[in-house]
This record gives sequence, C-alpha cells and structure tokens, in this order.
Amino acid sequence: MKKFWIGCLIAFMFILESIFVELLPGEFLSNKILVPHFLIITIFFFSIYANRNTAIIYAFVFGLLVDIVYTEVLGIYFFVFPFIIYLTSKIMKVLHANLLVVSVISLLGMSILELIVYEMNFLIHLTSMEFANFLNLRLVPTLVLNAIFLVIAAYPYKRIFEKYAGEGND
Amino acid sequence: MPQFFMNKRLIILLVSIIILVALIGFSLSRSKLTWPEQFIKDTTGWVQTLVSRPVHYVAGVIDNVKDLQDTYQENKELKAKIEEYGLLKAQVQGLQKDNEELQKIVDEYPSLNDSGYLKATIVSRDPSQWNELITINRGKNDGVEVDMAVITSAGLIGKVKSVSANTSTVQLLSSENPSNRISAYIQKDENTKDKNKKTSVFGLIEDYDKESKHLIMTWEEVPDGLEVKKGQIVTTSGLGGVFPPDLAIGKVVKVESDEYGLAKKAYIEPSADFYDIEHVLVVKRESGEEDK
Repeated sequence: MKKFWIGCLIAFMFILESIFVELLPGEFLSNKILVPHFLIITIFFFSIYANRNTAIIYAFVFGLLVDIVYTEVLGIYFFVFPFIIYLTSKIMKVLHANLLVVSVISLLGMSILELIVYEMNFLIHLTSMEFANFLNLRLVPTLVLNAIFLVIAAYPYKRIFEKYAGEGND
Repeated sequence: MPQFFMNKRLIILLVSIIILVALIGFSLSRSKLTWPEQFIKDTTGWVQTLVSRPVHYVAGVIDNVKDLQDTYQENKELKAKIEEYGLLKAQVQGLQKDNEELQKIVDEYPSLNDSGYLKATIVSRDPSQWNELITINRGKNDGVEVDMAVITSAGLIGKVKSVSANTSTVQLLSSENPSNRISAYIQKDENTKDKNKKTSVFGLIEDYDKESKHLIMTWEEVPDGLEVKKGQIVTTSGLGGVFPPDLAIGKVVKVESDEYGLAKKAYIEPSADFYDIEHVLVVKRESGEEDK
C-alpha cells in the first residue's frame, strides 16, 4: 500500500511540472526560461533515502512517459533519467548523506540532465540556442527555481522516504 | 572506479546508446504517432485533466480577484473605446453588404470564414520547453487533423502536430522548428496616400527569436514594393496551403535588410500570448476540400 502512494507522489510531480509551466505568467519571466525538474529531484531523493534499484525503475518508466507525453521525441529522457540517478547515487556513496549535501548533489544531477538534453537537442536541430544563452537564460533561472523547490520539499521528502524504507525492511 | 568499466556494464551502456540513437531517429522521421503512444497520451491526458481542471479553477478565482482591483481604470478606457465603436459598426455594415454582393458575382466562392471552430481546453504543456508543445483535450474523434491552425481570441498560436483519439498536440509558433513556416502578408497601411503602391508584402515567417520574443518574417525585396512601417498588421495569407487566410499573427516592430541586402527581415510582435493560454480554438478545414 505504501508503494502505491509513492507511485502516486511521483506521478503527481510528473503532472505538477506541466501545470507549473502552464500557470507561469509570461511577463514575469521576461525572456528567462524556468524549467521545473520536480520529477527527477523526487526520484533522486527516493534513490538516496529508500531504494536505488526501485528508483532506477521509476526513472525508466517516468522517463518514457515524459518522452511520449511531453516531448514526442522518444529516447532522450528514457535514458538520461536512469543514467542521472545511477550517476548521482554513485557520487553519494562517497559523500556523507547529509540533507544539504543531498540537495546540492540533486541540483548538480539536474544540471547534468539539462546539459545532456541541451546537447542532444542541439545535435538533432531542435534548438539553435547558443551555449552562453543556454547558461544565462535557461540553466541559471532553472537552478534558482529548483533550489526554491528543494528548500520546501527536501525535509518532507527525507521523512517520507526514510519512513517508507524503514517499513519495507521490517 | 575500475568496476564501472566492468564488461557487463560497458555492454549495457553501449547497447543503450544504440537503442537511444535508433529511437531518436525513429521518432524524428515518422509522420504519425504509433498506437501505444496514442493510447498512453490519451490515458495521461485524462488523468491530467482530472488534476488540472480544479487547479485552473482556483487560479481563475485568484485572477478574478486581481481583475477587480483594475476594474475602475479599465471601465474608463472601455467607455472611451465604445464611442469609436458606433462609427465602426456603420462601416462594417456597409462592407458586409458590399461583400455579399461581390460574393454573388464570383459565384459563391467558398469563403474561409465559413470554416468552423472547435473549442478546446489545454490539458498539459511540455515542461522542458525545448519544443514548445501543448496538449489539448480534442482529438481525432472530434475531427481534429494534423496541420490545422490553432488560435486564441487574440490570434494565431500554432498548428496541430499530432493527434490521438481524444487529445492532440499543438506546436506553438514560439518553438524553434524549421518546419514551422507560415506564409504571411503585411496588410497595407490605411493612411498610405501613394495609390500606386498596391502590392501587399507577402513573405514567410521563418523563425522565432527567443530573446526578444519576436517572430521573424522574411521576403524578397521588390522594386515597387510597399514600404513596411512599424505597427503594420501581419496576418496569414492562406497561400501556404496549411493555414486559412486572415488569421491575425501580430504587428511589425522593426524592419531591416538581411546581410546580403537581397531580402528584408521584419520582427513581429505576436498578438497572442504564448504563455497564459487556457482555451483555444482549432480552425477546422472545410469538409469540401477533399473533393477539389
């Protein structure tokens, strides 16, 4: 039953990303692009505080969903999501799992995700944005937005996922 | 990390890269969604509607409260506008009569104004914002087809990119896609006194400038061409065969020559807002089109 609610939480984050972008007022941004990455952050916290292998399966499933429903280019998120989870959880093995460290690493993982997706889109000519513009207009505002999200969500996530892992082991 | 390059992992990595490239290649070359994709899109679309309806409702209430604060100012402006309205109405009536008579002369040429509109609500929007896509709650079952124009009350916002049974995906004008060309023309300025210059400027909207948020329209310079000035209105021309004519696109902001001096380039401020979209209209193509 607990598993079901975790699935629901991640699915809700998947929908929330789209609603967030829909409701974002245009004038407020001027020409900055804010990209919510709540989904990957949630899965990453799950991988640290609960179970890494389950997290990778979630990453595969939701990566595929993002590809089909949002971008209509199959493959990119399907592979990058699990790769990021794998990479960041490898980094976390070396570091101490302190809440602040986990948050910073999740922002790092998110930046790598943005970078890989940018390079791929650039390769297949979906975008012609220059790298400097990508950093200024897209990456920095996105980092700020997701840092704000982390401030709100990091502690509750830790509680929820630790509780889930504790019950799973009993 | 020696174990990272263990044989098994290396093979998994290589195989996944091959599948990745194959999948991307597949999804870029196809013209239609496969049925599992359509099924998943419809299902998620349904779930997303369940969540986004109440959220939009709450957001709407908040907006309404904000609107109330500006009501007084707006009311003043509107009253001023209404006075111009009476004049316009008389003009329109005259024009309508003219139009009817002329249409009889040209033997009931099918007017594109007759084409129907289909109301739709936005279900979701691509959060990654690379390829600006939105999903609407109308699909094949409602008669939506690929390449139909999508407008809001303010003007053109995009075209239908793909359809599934109950939802369809719209590509906004603001996405940087080379396939997104629109044949457009710049309407003549009413105040032009020079009657000899009758030609309207026809061109293609080819690009979107992400930084200034302007559409870029280009056309070849004609010797006797019309002078294009700031503030002139740009609409679709209907020549491309994709969009019906006379859908508002925007206003000219800036005109310049291209680097070789052969073509002109205009920056157009879109009349529709690509961000705060909630309800859209899909412009249905005429049913008689297949017969021609």
